[in-house]
Amino acid sequence: MASSNLAVKEALKANPVPSSVDPQEVHKWLQDFSWDFKAKGGKYPTKYNLDVNTREQFKLTAKEYARMESIKEERQYGTLLDGLDRLDAGNKVHPKWGEAMKVISNFLEVGEYAAIAGSALLWDAAQSPEQKNGYLAQVMDEVRHTNQTAYVNYYYGKHYYDPAGHTNMRQFRSVNPLYPGVRRAFGDGFLAGDAVESSINLQVVAEACFTNPLIVSLTEWAAANGDEITPTVYLSIETDELRHMANGYQTLVSVMTDPESFKYLQTDLDNAFWTQHKYLTPFVGFGLEYGSKYKVEPWVKSWNRWVYEDWAGIWLGRLQKFGIKSPKCLADAKKDAMWAHHDLALLAAALWPLTGIRMELPDEEAMNWFEANYPGWYDHYGKIYNEWKSLGFEDPKAGFCPLVWMMQNGHGIFIDHTSTLPFCPTLSKSASNPSFLEMNGKRFAFSEGHGERQWLQEPERYEFQNFFEQYEGWELSELVKAAGGVRSDGKTLLSQPHLRSTDMWTLEDLKRLNIVIPDPMKIMNWQPVH
Amino acid sequence: MTKNTNGYNSGTNAKSGQAFMDEFLGDATSKIPTSDAVVVALMKSEEIDAIIQEIVIPMREENPSIAIEDRGGYYWIKATGKLTFDCDEASEMLGKKYTVYDLLVNVSTTVGRAFTLGNKFIVTNELLGLESKVESVY
Repeated sequence: MASSNLAVKEALKANPVPSSVDPQEVHKWLQDFSWDFKAKGGKYPTKYNLDVNTREQFKLTAKEYARMESIKEERQYGTLLDGLDRLDAGNKVHPKWGEAMKVISNFLEVGEYAAIAGSALLWDAAQSPEQKNGYLAQVMDEVRHTNQTAYVNYYYGKHYYDPAGHTNMRQFRSVNPLYPGVRRAFGDGFLAGDAVESSINLQVVAEACFTNPLIVSLTEWAAANGDEITPTVYLSIETDELRHMANGYQTLVSVMTDPESFKYLQTDLDNAFWTQHKYLTPFVGFGLEYGSKYKVEPWVKSWNRWVYEDWAGIWLGRLQKFGIKSPKCLADAKKDAMWAHHDLALLAAALWPLTGIRMELPDEEAMNWFEANYPGWYDHYGKIYNEWKSLGFEDPKAGFCPLVWMMQNGHGIFIDHTSTLPFCPTLSKSASNPSFLEMNGKRFAFSEGHGERQWLQEPERYEFQNFFEQYEGWELSELVKAAGGVRSDGKTLLSQPHLRSTDMWTLEDLKRLNIVIPDPMKIMNWQPVH
Repeated sequence: MTKNTNGYNSGTNAKSGQAFMDEFLGDATSKIPTSDAVVVALMKSEEIDAIIQEIVIPMREENPSIAIEDRGGYYWIKATGKLTFDCDEASEMLGKKYTVYDLLVNVSTTVGRAFTLGNKFIVTNELLGLESKVESVY
C-alpha cells in the first residue's frame, strides 16, 4: 500500500495534473503514465515487436468517447423508432433488396462479433498506452456494431412485409454453403492468428479497405432501392471505423521501423489481402448487383475506386517508399472484381433452397445492364439463366432444380478448402486455377493458387468440414426442415426462387425432387485442370 | 465528366463497358498506384449540410483539387494533400458549441491518415509516425 502510494506520488510529480478539463490535455496527461505492460506479460504473444511509443491519432478520453457515442445512438435510434416508423419505411423497400438484407446484415454481424475479440487481442498485445487506448475504444465500438447489425434484421423483422429470414437467419445460415466463408474471413482472419496479423486482416484490410464499399457505398444502393433503414445504421457504424483504420495504420507504424518485425510484414499483408478479398469481393458485389432492382454503378467501378485507387494508392502506394510492395495476388484480385460475384450469383441461384432468402433470376432489364457493364456476361451466365427459366426455375410443379442441372451437365460444385467458398471449375470466369491435393488420405479442393499456398504453409489452420462432407446423404427437404428453413405454417420454404406470394415452394415440392446431397469429390471423378 | 482528377468518376471510372475492362485489367494497372489524395465521407445531418456549404466548398479557393459529390446519404470529398476541418470555425458558423468530437459523430469514413489536433480534424496524405510526428497541441 505504502509503495503504491509512493508510486502515485512520483507519477503525479513527473506528470503534473492538467491545467484544464480540455479532453486532449487530459488524454495527454493520462497517456504519460508509463505503465510497464511488458512486465505484466501478454496472454497472446506476437512475433512482432510493437513500439512502446506508438501514438493514438484520435486522442480519446472515456468521457468524450461516451458522449460522442451516445449522440450517435440517440440520432440513429431516434430516426428509426420515430421518423422512419411514421414513414412506414420498412414497407417501402423494394422486395429484392429487402431479401438481400436478410443475409447482408446477418453475415456482417459475424464480422462485428469476431472483431470484439480481435481488437481485445490487440489490446492485450500492445505495449504503448496510447495504442492500448485506441484498441480499447474499438472493443466497445465492435460491441455497438454487433448490436447495430443485428438490429437491422430485428427492425426489418418487425416492419418489413416478409419477416421470415430476418427473424431466424442465425439458425438457417448453418446450412448455407455461402456462410462458412464469413467465418473464415471474419472469424479466423480477425482473431485466430498472431495479434498483428489479426490487425492487418481486421483493421488494415477489412476495415480500411473493404468497409468503404461494404458499409458506405452500400448505403447508396440501399437508398436507391427504397431502404432508408440501412443508411441510418450503417453510416453510423462507419463513423467508428475511421478510428479503427487509424488503429491499423498505427499497428503498421509500430512494427515497420524494426527490421526484425518488418521481415514478416509483406507475407502477412499479402495473405490478409487475399483472405479478405476472396470473400468480400464476390459477396459484396453479389449483394449489390443481384440484390437490387435499381442499380447505382457497376461493382467493379466501386472496387476500382475504393479498393484499388484509394486504399491501395493512398495506403500501400504511399508506404512503398518504406519497403511495402504490391500484393502478388493483385492482378488476380482485379480479375475477381470483374467476375467473381457473377460466379457466386450463379452458384447461389443453383443452391437457392439453402440461402434462406427469396431470389429471382435477372430479368431482361438486368441482363442488359450486366452485358453493358460486363461485356461477355450474357454468353457466359445469361444463357444459363434463360435456360433455367425455360425449364421452370420458379415453378414448384415443374420438378426442376438447377443443382441437378449442374451435376447432369458436368458442372460439379466444390468447396475451396482455404476460403471455404463453393466454386465450379467449369463455369468460373474469375481468377481460377483449380487443383486438388491429398493429405492423410483425404482430398482437398482449391479454386486457385494463392489459397492453395496458404493451406500448404499452415494446413492445420484450415481444418474444417465442408458442406458436402457434413451433409452427404441427407435428403434436401429433410436438411432444410432440420435447419429451420420453413415459415410459420410449418411447410412453406423460407427460400423461394421468385418474389411472389403465390406459387411458393413447400417442403413437399422440394421432397419431390428427390435430391440427396452428394460429395462431388467422391462421385464425379474430377481431375485438376493443370 | 469532371476535369478534376479527384472527381468521383474520373480516370478509369470515366470509361465504360469494354474500354473500362481493358484499362482496369491492363498491365499498366497491375501494380499498386501511389496517390497523394485523401478521402472523407460525411454522413448528412443538419450540421454537416451547413459545413459543406459554408466551410468545405469555400476551401476550393485555396485548394482547387477538392472534389465534392452528393452520394445520397453522405457527401464524398476527395482532395490532394490535406483536408482540415476547423470546429471552432464551425462552432461560430452554427451558433453553438461544436467540438471535434461532435464532428466525428458524422464522419463516416476517411482514406488517409486522420487525426484530431485541438479542435481541428485533419486528414492528411503524410505518413504520420514515419514521415512526420502525430501532432498534439499539448
